[in-house]
Amino acid sequence: MLEEGRISGGQALMLNITMIIATTLISAPTIVANHARQDAWLAMLLATLLALPIAWITAKLGTLFPTKTLVEYTEDILGKWPGKLLSLLYLLWFINICSVMIREYGNFIVDAFMMETPLMIVNILGTALAAYTVKKGLEVLARVNQIFLPLIIVSILLVFLLALPEMKLERFLPVFEAHWVDIFRGAMAPLTWMGEISTFAMLIPFLVQPGQARHTTVITILLVGLFFTLLVVASVATFGPIIDNMIYPVLSTTRVVNIAQFIERPEPLIMAIWITGGLLKISIFYYVIVLGCAQWLTLKDYRPLVLPVGVILVALSSIVARNILELVHFIAYVWPPYALLTFEFGIPLTLLVIALVRKQGGNGP
Amino acid sequence: MVFPIIMAFLVIILLEVPGLVSKKMWRELTAFAALLIIGMALSITHTLGVMIPNPNKYIEILFKPLVEWLSK
Repeated sequence: MLEEGRISGGQALMLNITMIIATTLISAPTIVANHARQDAWLAMLLATLLALPIAWITAKLGTLFPTKTLVEYTEDILGKWPGKLLSLLYLLWFINICSVMIREYGNFIVDAFMMETPLMIVNILGTALAAYTVKKGLEVLARVNQIFLPLIIVSILLVFLLALPEMKLERFLPVFEAHWVDIFRGAMAPLTWMGEISTFAMLIPFLVQPGQARHTTVITILLVGLFFTLLVVASVATFGPIIDNMIYPVLSTTRVVNIAQFIERPEPLIMAIWITGGLLKISIFYYVIVLGCAQWLTLKDYRPLVLPVGVILVALSSIVARNILELVHFIAYVWPPYALLTFEFGIPLTLLVIALVRKQGGNGP
Repeated sequence: MVFPIIMAFLVIILLEVPGLVSKKMWRELTAFAALLIIGMALSITHTLGVMIPNPNKYIEILFKPLVEWLSK
């Protein structure tokens, strides 16, 4: 097999959580509040509920083919050439997500902290560091993530704890003011972020016990849903529904922190969270792309592909959007129908149905 | 601006190719070269200011009705 490393169930859980929350956490409340206003927390809970089937499908497919990744079992299910074609589309999709992610990562740093640094410098340095992580393999990535994810979670909770005096629960009133269609529309974007769990299909065979995949995905979605709901509740409680006009509401929350006129503006915390989380998330998707390419071409080693793929990702990160508004438009409105109908939900569901009908896979239906 | 990019590509080639040649991994070398050429074409033309079609725009056109419903 291409990857010799193995990861434990706990490490996989943490990788999944990073994969979902890292780059979305800064702008998540805005995109949800756009439609659902102060009922954004309801939209988040709805999204969590709707994401559970995606998690289940991913895990079910993974346990049917416990030694194969997504790129490999499409060939088993659909036959050689249709499977190859579908895997290629998946790889292009991963490349698309990853380049958008690198752009998001770079744009935030340039917009919020380092205004005079060219965007491409941040993107290139970030991708180079991610390339190094990917070259070291999955086990190293999983362990680095194991160290940093708890720090990320603790920092973000700390920020909200500091902002607690500014929060007012009246800002949630009136509850259910938004129409249920608007709540549903608000739930679409977070649903697609949680749907990124479908990427886990590329990592399931490297679990020590692939059978754990089912618990892992479901627990991931529940924890991430809880975390996102907390994020939205804190942002709405601080600013009220006007957060739909902010690009980075979580950053704005840190800017209002003022405890005894002594602890003020803990923004470096947000920057630290963003850089570590963003890089880990980019590394995970980068790893998935490189591994997928190597499996698709049936190579013996994936490491030689790391740098060329990095070059493509950096170039695309500059091409995918002209400015931050175009990027936010893509993430908020184009991404949800695109990802949900095809690669996150539509195609995996079809694959699962075909596999079950044709009685394929190790464990049987 | 093109000069540093070409330097970067030379560094990448020097880092990877000798190892691949000495291990006689020709298949890997071909894949490496193909991906690197795509990357080179994208980055150099983009730096020179040639408009490269943005894939996200085409995706948006493909899902137009749903995008409009969502962004209303």
